[in-house]
Amino acid sequence: MEAVVLENVCKSFGEVHAVDKLNVQVPAGSVYGFLGPNGAGKTTTIRMIMNIIQPDSGQIKIFDDGAITQAKARIGYMPEERGLYRKMKVGKVLAYFGAIKGLSASKLNFRVPQWLQRLDLAGWTNKKVEELSRGMHQKLQFAVMAINEPDLLILDEPFSGLDPVNQDLLTDIICRMRDEGRTILFSTHVMHEAERLCDFILLINKGKAVLDGKLDEIRSRYKSGVVSVELEGDTSFIRTLPMVKTAETQGRRIEISLSEKADTQDLLKALVGRVRVKAFEVKMPSLHEIFVRLVHASQYIGRDNVEDS
Amino acid sequence: MWKILKIAQREYLDVVKTKTFILSILFTPAIIGIVIFVSGRTQRSVTGPRPPREVAVADLTNQLTDEIKDSFEQHNESNPQRQILLQELLSDTSSDEPIKQKVRDGQLNAYFVLDKDSVEGTGKIQSFTRSTKIIDLDLISNVENLLNSAIFNRRCKLKDVSQELLAQIGELRRQVPSEIIDIGSASEQKRINKGEQIAKTMASFFFMFMMFMGIFGMGQHMLTSVIEEKNSRVIEVLLSAVSPFELMTGKILGLAGISLTVMSLWSAAAIGSAYYGAAHWWNITLELPIGILPYFVIYFILGFIMFSSFLAGIGSICNTIKESQSLMMPISIIFILPMVAWFHLAQQPDGPLARVLSFVPPLTPIVMTLRLAASRDISFLEIFASIILLAVFVPIVMWLAAKVFRTGILMYGKRPGPREVLRWLKQS
Repeated sequence: MEAVVLENVCKSFGEVHAVDKLNVQVPAGSVYGFLGPNGAGKTTTIRMIMNIIQPDSGQIKIFDDGAITQAKARIGYMPEERGLYRKMKVGKVLAYFGAIKGLSASKLNFRVPQWLQRLDLAGWTNKKVEELSRGMHQKLQFAVMAINEPDLLILDEPFSGLDPVNQDLLTDIICRMRDEGRTILFSTHVMHEAERLCDFILLINKGKAVLDGKLDEIRSRYKSGVVSVELEGDTSFIRTLPMVKTAETQGRRIEISLSEKADTQDLLKALVGRVRVKAFEVKMPSLHEIFVRLVHASQYIGRDNVEDS
Repeated sequence: MWKILKIAQREYLDVVKTKTFILSILFTPAIIGIVIFVSGRTQRSVTGPRPPREVAVADLTNQLTDEIKDSFEQHNESNPQRQILLQELLSDTSSDEPIKQKVRDGQLNAYFVLDKDSVEGTGKIQSFTRSTKIIDLDLISNVENLLNSAIFNRRCKLKDVSQELLAQIGELRRQVPSEIIDIGSASEQKRINKGEQIAKTMASFFFMFMMFMGIFGMGQHMLTSVIEEKNSRVIEVLLSAVSPFELMTGKILGLAGISLTVMSLWSAAAIGSAYYGAAHWWNITLELPIGILPYFVIYFILGFIMFSSFLAGIGSICNTIKESQSLMMPISIIFILPMVAWFHLAQQPDGPLARVLSFVPPLTPIVMTLRLAASRDISFLEIFASIILLAVFVPIVMWLAAKVFRTGILMYGKRPGPREVLRWLKQS
């Protein structure tokens, strides 16, 4: 089942095609990342899903039953631009948003302290929002989003402005919510955040989908054919192996770059017996590398294919 | 509906709990109280005893000495609390410079010069004063009357009119006392004195002013509230939970609640102290049109919804209060119109202008309030028709405002022009 489906969605602002024929399927119960550089169209897409702006053409379905208006109670949204009532107290703000999301008073009595506790904000319940630091404000914003424990979480750049400790805190909460069967859709331009969290990703650049699918599959599809090994013994024979293109010593490790169509298992077989293998790691490309490769490719398309070599 | 009430509640508490609001709530009735108290006091001092005033007169006719002295004596005998003392009576102006100096120094209140041919010809009275305070104008007219009666007496003497005849003429010229009787209700006839007449006019102004403040003054909170939510970017979070229409309606409700609170507190304070003042100081019976209060409530609610929806629309397309003020200008002018014309409207509550303005929807609540407070003769048909017209107009304004609000509230940056707003209105 899909939590969110976008079909051929387009949106232009004047001459600029902010989103161009975008197709997305967000499977229910997954963590789905929208990745892309600034101005790629991530926020525009999220805003269209939230029905804040209307697409020029195409269809958006949420929980299979269409319009967001019916699904609002099941969705939590954290916009890119953070803002809460500055003069209100932290506990009151959270209770207010809980109430307008339809939570009963008895549920609120329980959930408000619970969520403030989870986000390490319990000591700030009676402080005004304007007294919070930027990071704390952000966590409160997350609590506002999560207070109705929605089935679908839509987070626009949830980690920006958080220190590593709080990033981990948020990651834990998001993972826990995923384990509870909720769907999390978030956008980021920081690739390692996506790597840490995502089951699925969509790479957007200039409003177009560059790449989408399961993160694991994508990484193996774009594997670089580099193996990093740590060996004991005489390693000079490695360069002479047929499947090896280059081998570079980097400190105690050797980075072996394999020729095309070579299998890493053959390399391992060739090594075992001749030297002692202390470490053998098939290097997966980082999303960052994939992203840079793809974006560059699409930017330089038609000029030459230097980057693909 | 639950969500709308929640939004209304927050909006209400957000404003009501602020210190400035509480201060302003207390401050205004305090001012009304002070004004009523002070005017009650001064009222008493107008009728109460006053220190004697001192004047000098130069009689250039040289024949009025006795008459002038008599006039002053008579006046002081019959007005012991309003004495005017004739300090000096000169016969020429050649040496009056010290007198003028006394007027300048404040030792004398005024100095009068009676022209040479005042008795026979067309001479005039000149008054020299230091500054024209209202109280001095009073004094001048008093002294002029005294001098005129001296001249009258002298003329009578010259024509050999006997004292008896004069007394008879005086008796014949006595004024007929008058009173005004209100026959508004058939069963009861009521005497009205001048004070009550004034109080009635003021009451109609008061009710109109309350309506104006309640709708126009309190409506401004809408602008602040919308623009603040827009600027603090809280709006997207709100819209992820509620629809723009729910948000707007909740705001209108909450602010209407605030306005009603303020109005009731102020009215209670003002009516209470007016009754107190009427009973204790002015010696009049106040009759306030309690029977038409339900109409006021209806006009207020409809008027408030209309105006605050409009402001929600305006606020949604602006980024700062300053920007919104330039858009508010034409609206303010329309609203101030009945305030400018209030006296005319209160004098002629059934006149053509009052009737026409009653059916201009933005003005209906204010004008109708004024008319209802000023007159009992507004036909029920007219009241009914104006309420129906408002009741039709209000949802239209709300509907249009909601369309602008829906789009405008999420727009940042440059304020959209009229053409763009028109396009939003056309969108389904």
